[in-house]
Amino acid sequence: MNAQEEEKPAPVLELDRVSKSFGGVRAAQEVSFSVASGHIHALIGPNGAGKTTLFNLITGIYPADDGSVLFEGRDVGRLEVYERVAAGIARTFQNVELFTGMSVLENVMVGLHVRTRCGFFGALAKWPWVRREEEQARGTALDWLKFVGLEKMAESQAGDLPFGWQRLVEIARALASRPRLLLLDEPAAGLNARETRDLGVLLRQIRTRGVTLLLVEHDMSLTMEISDRIVVLDQGRKIAEGTPREIQADEKVLAAYLGQGE
Amino acid sequence: MRVLANVIGYLLVGSAILAVGLWVDNYYYFQLLTFIGINTLLAVGLNMLMGYAGQISLGHAAFYGLGAYTTGILGVHLGWPPLVTLPCALLVSGLVAWLVGRPTLKLHGYYLGMGTLGVGMIVHVLFREWSSLTGGPSGLPGIPTLSLGPLEIPGGRPYMFVVWGVVLVSFAMCQRLVHSRVGRALRAIHFSEQAAAAVGVDTARAKLQVFVFAGVLAGLAGFLYAHMVTFVSPSSFGFLVSVRIVAMVVIGGMASIWGSLFGASLLTMLPEWLHVFSEYEVLVYGLILVVVMIFFPQGLTRGMLDLYERARRGKTGSGS
Amino acid sequence: MQEFLQYLFSGVTNGAIYAVIALGFSTLYSATDLINFAQGEFVMLGALVLVTLWSQAHLPLWAAFPLTVLLVAAFGMVFERVAIRTVRKPSPILLVLITVGASIFLRGVAMLIWGKDAYSVPAFSKTQAIEIGGAYLLPQSLWILGIVVLLVVGLNLFYHRTLTGKAMQACAINKRAASLLGVGTQKIALLAWGLSAGLGAVAGVIIAPITMSSYDMGTMLGLKGFCAAMLGGLGNFWGAVVGGVLLGILEAMGVGYASSSLRDAIAFFLLLLILYARPTGILGKASTQRF
Repeated sequence: MNAQEEEKPAPVLELDRVSKSFGGVRAAQEVSFSVASGHIHALIGPNGAGKTTLFNLITGIYPADDGSVLFEGRDVGRLEVYERVAAGIARTFQNVELFTGMSVLENVMVGLHVRTRCGFFGALAKWPWVRREEEQARGTALDWLKFVGLEKMAESQAGDLPFGWQRLVEIARALASRPRLLLLDEPAAGLNARETRDLGVLLRQIRTRGVTLLLVEHDMSLTMEISDRIVVLDQGRKIAEGTPREIQADEKVLAAYLGQGE
Repeated sequence: MRVLANVIGYLLVGSAILAVGLWVDNYYYFQLLTFIGINTLLAVGLNMLMGYAGQISLGHAAFYGLGAYTTGILGVHLGWPPLVTLPCALLVSGLVAWLVGRPTLKLHGYYLGMGTLGVGMIVHVLFREWSSLTGGPSGLPGIPTLSLGPLEIPGGRPYMFVVWGVVLVSFAMCQRLVHSRVGRALRAIHFSEQAAAAVGVDTARAKLQVFVFAGVLAGLAGFLYAHMVTFVSPSSFGFLVSVRIVAMVVIGGMASIWGSLFGASLLTMLPEWLHVFSEYEVLVYGLILVVVMIFFPQGLTRGMLDLYERARRGKTGSGS
Repeated sequence: MQEFLQYLFSGVTNGAIYAVIALGFSTLYSATDLINFAQGEFVMLGALVLVTLWSQAHLPLWAAFPLTVLLVAAFGMVFERVAIRTVRKPSPILLVLITVGASIFLRGVAMLIWGKDAYSVPAFSKTQAIEIGGAYLLPQSLWILGIVVLLVVGLNLFYHRTLTGKAMQACAINKRAASLLGVGTQKIALLAWGLSAGLGAVAGVIIAPITMSSYDMGTMLGLKGFCAAMLGGLGNFWGAVVGGVLLGILEAMGVGYASSSLRDAIAFFLLLLILYARPTGILGKASTQRF
């Protein structure tokens, strides 16, 4: 089913001249780009370039001052964070935000929140359909844990896992909401070389499941290897966009990075 | 494991109450146990809000009082039977919780503490000053004892059974909640509201729901209290009562349903055991809150277990 | 008119006291981001320690005043060391519960020491009440107003002109930056607690001559002080004065023209109104918080 879309990929996400400032700092200035369905798209740029700000604008942590965010052609700029998750946008965090006091399985089950229905009275009454839903949710969550290779850790406390595994649990939790767009904020940060390689494989697998990926990443070799397309930001502005090869040859990009001393 | 522990818990508590009911014949003990039951209801409700969802409330006595006063006012002034006043009491406390919760729960941390405290104070002033309805500072006497249709339930042994039946049912309800989609969302909010929202939880709605739930449980406790004591006065629902409920939760351990039972039992029996204690009651509550929060933020039961674990590990010397 | 003036005088007087309490909240909040639910108990301690120093130790008021403030400030610092710094993982909910616990604990201790009686001390000066437009202004009111103005001017000087004051401000703006500059955040916190407790004691001392002081006076005063601080904007010293006086006047008018039973409800309605109506003002930080 993906073959047709890949020939002529329709945009999943479109940013049109999105701006945001905090006090006097302009964290994003008229940024426009679109992410094609089935792609792995990367956002790169020096520190403070506004990558996380863009993530927060796309997921709705705060609204944009100006410009529009379209998801599958629909303006989601006014939706609350949780409504965007229901619409099909999921994310992970730079510092991994697991619910540390809950089990790994429960963490992933919270990810299923928008795909399950049981409400307050349903939980109290525990109707047959609620039990069934709970069973199914458990099964689905286990499947996602299996997908990231952590089904054995299902009953452990999330906070007890090593950092690299916590990151995988967070990805499983995000996938559980069945997103069509997954935003990953520096997924390789804090991982060793082997874990980073495995992550690259995992991200490709996620794509084959029909999830479009948008990631912020500092690990250049990983980014260049897996991305279909890259957007470069500097000081809140988009300075370049293209395939990894084009970006590597771009002088503006080089200047931005050299200027930063990185 | 969890299920087994719970079954044992229910059996233990149920048989303890039954044993007292069958073999003890002392009105005083029945009263004491009834009080423990009522306080447990209050604590377990607040624990859902504070322990699980991580939202502080320093005005929980307001909903307790609303339940009690609604029961009293409808029973005394209008002569309505308890079967009718019960839903009214639950409705009033739930409705007020909903109205108050909508704006209040937008607040965080200290401001939520101050906001709920303010709500508690206003409701308390209302009880004291709306004399024509509430009897003012001297209170409202003459509330009938509980009767369900033709079935009279006088104080003492039968009433104790009723109250503990209610407690165990509400325990079961809370446990269902905690281990459901709703409960997971609440615990997620406790860890981080923003992360919970980013995973798809409508945090405002979830918080409001649990606030109303805690309010309704407190209203139920108020209904039971009014029929037990047959008299309500403002002093039973002031700031200190709110703090006492908080202390019960804190001692028993946040996010522990059985802990609430422990906390409520301890703080209800302590003043009875140590008669001198009543003089220093306030002092001791304060000290308990401070000490437990500094040294055992997980609650006294959990804290003791941790200490025991540490001591044992120290002895066996598996110093890893 | 005469009635109105009388209400106004009493409103401004009470309001000035709320303002001093609000200053206590603000100094602590601006240095440590913390709201102390036991602030009212420092006020109570101020009043009752003054009573004891004056009636038992037979100190003149002018000597008892500073001694009281110093004692309570020292106590505030001890409290910080014992109950605040010892918390391993401080979170608002923990600190709320600890300070609430401390508040009722202090109340219990005060009841043991001073009993349930109410005490009073004479006014600072023995001059007659001043008549203005048929209404009477107590000299104590002038003392109170003067002290409030002195405090605010002093605090502003302290924060803008002295190194310690500037360090406290740096600490308020950014803890990490402050510690990089070599400002000891622990020392600052200790100092802020002392200052805040001392301000509470000042409120207790100036209120003692115009009201009866007892072990349970603190809670209500603390809440009203917090309301004043919120009205004026937490951390803003002149705002605390404006908020306090506004609250005092509204209360006096409400009591005078409506009903005395409304007295305490007014402050809480205002508090809730402020908390609800300006959530962005209060929560402004949360909305721009980054992950």
